[in-house]
Amino acid sequence: MERPGARGAADRRHQDRSRPAPRGALRRRLRPTPPLRPHRPPHHRRGGLHAPPLPGPPGPRQLEDSGVLNPSLKSRGNSWGLHMPLVCPDGAVVAYAWKRQLAGQAGASAVDRTRLALKAFTDQKRRFFPHLEDDLLNHHGESGIAKRLCSSQVLPMSKELVEGKTLADILKNLEHEVPNIRILTYQRRDWSKRASLLSSSVDENHVDPSKEQNLHNWKKLRSASVDQIAVIELLMPSIFRAVVSLHLAGSVNPDAVAFFSPNEGGDYIHSRGISVHHVFRLVTEHADKALQYYLSVDPNNSLPLLLCWICSYQTLFAKVCSKCGRLLMMDKTLALLLPPVHRPYFLTSSVKGQSSDLTKAYHIGCSSEEI
Amino acid sequence: MHWQPNPGATLNSQILAEACACAEGLGGAKDGRWRTAMTFYRPMPRDSSAPPADVPRDFLGLALHDRPDTYFFILRAHRLVLHADASIQAIMEKLQSYKARVVFNFEGFQYKLGDFRLRVGKCVPSMAETLRGIMMEVEYLPLSSIEKSRQILEEFFDIWQEALAKKSLPGHFIHIESNFADYGLQDHYTSQHTAVQYATCMAQLMAAVRS
Repeated sequence: MERPGARGAADRRHQDRSRPAPRGALRRRLRPTPPLRPHRPPHHRRGGLHAPPLPGPPGPRQLEDSGVLNPSLKSRGNSWGLHMPLVCPDGAVVAYAWKRQLAGQAGASAVDRTRLALKAFTDQKRRFFPHLEDDLLNHHGESGIAKRLCSSQVLPMSKELVEGKTLADILKNLEHEVPNIRILTYQRRDWSKRASLLSSSVDENHVDPSKEQNLHNWKKLRSASVDQIAVIELLMPSIFRAVVSLHLAGSVNPDAVAFFSPNEGGDYIHSRGISVHHVFRLVTEHADKALQYYLSVDPNNSLPLLLCWICSYQTLFAKVCSKCGRLLMMDKTLALLLPPVHRPYFLTSSVKGQSSDLTKAYHIGCSSEEI
Repeated sequence: MHWQPNPGATLNSQILAEACACAEGLGGAKDGRWRTAMTFYRPMPRDSSAPPADVPRDFLGLALHDRPDTYFFILRAHRLVLHADASIQAIMEKLQSYKARVVFNFEGFQYKLGDFRLRVGKCVPSMAETLRGIMMEVEYLPLSSIEKSRQILEEFFDIWQEALAKKSLPGHFIHIESNFADYGLQDHYTSQHTAVQYATCMAQLMAAVRS
């Protein structure tokens, strides 16, 4: 893996052999490189040939004070003649010794180089990102940040919504709480067949869905098949059809939701599809925000919260706006006549635990910032 | 909905133009022309004697704008509606059992108002130019259930009336409910429902003009 800097260094290797080098350092002289900054990994540096000159190289004492050259590093044995971090004869500090190693064509193997690189990155991370958990292998670097963000918003856990609830439990509870809803489940590849079937039934004849329900009634699925459920269809007869997809089949992590008219059919009917009708398009946009909100605030219970919230739309064409008292209103911005398409999704704590207020409905223009 | 002129007022095309302007004012985008034809049939006896009493006299045929391949028949007195392939008209010509007495054309412009589709048109006999009536058709596209869409359509009708009232026209639109259950029709809206509504509207229109 050649880098411009390394190449430059290799060229200069021959220039100054006579000069005595400090113990353990490579016999080479490099042009001073700019000091390392936390946000710029060294392999992005255009150092070497065109690096700007430093004000002055730090001495060993300064290196010790800054924490770069600490006793634990100094006491490490030289397994292949390299210290970590390297201090060059000119005082330049290179934290990523693998770069020098490559330049110096040391006889280290790929495994050694990888180990060295990993060590270098870990040390850098510990030094410059101390608030992150020290667990590179489990990719907790990112989730550490996410946890920090979440901790400022976490609301008390509901007693009813237990962690680790299964998909089957969630669907059963939903059926119990919302008797009008029809819940159908599909494996990922079965959904496209279903969507195409819907288009053929969009005609004068109202297809009896009970036949399909028998095929996709989640209650009749064996436990092994429940693990393959990737798409949940919530059909509120004559009102809407909502499609929710799960991130991993059989899991309780929703990753997308879309609303459609019960008359719509075709390949575009899926959890990331867009309805041809304005009203359902706008409900889908609002549902995206609700989904992101539930995932960020209460990820373990995002699915039951989302499904419950979706069911509140059974009153989409009947419930008047809680602010203006009307059902149909002209939205001035969109120039469309719409029913109240917004339902609040923000969670509030109550005696029963966390829940969204599902009793209100608002037109787009009537809904406040809090919604 | 049909247009009910005020007592003493006459129908004129200006009302139609104002209704179209109102649709555009609500944000409607013109979506082309439409025409639906209604035929009044009278029975043709095989011989010169009078037709038997049980032969229906109010036999209506309807060719809907958005169903060009289908022809609808309505017997209002018997509350019957049925549909057949459009070629039935040719068959009836050959059979000569029923002859077209008069044909009325409902024609005008179609508008798209978001999720609503509006058709505003006049009713003229095919062989004359006299304006027999003005009517409009409103459809809420996302829903097919009559019950579930009732509230939305009522509110739309209120908004429409409000907008039209500003123009101070000599009359107003009236919506008369059709009794679909009498015809054996279900809650799920179909073209047969439309046919029944046209028949009802026609009857109301003629009564309005006569009075």
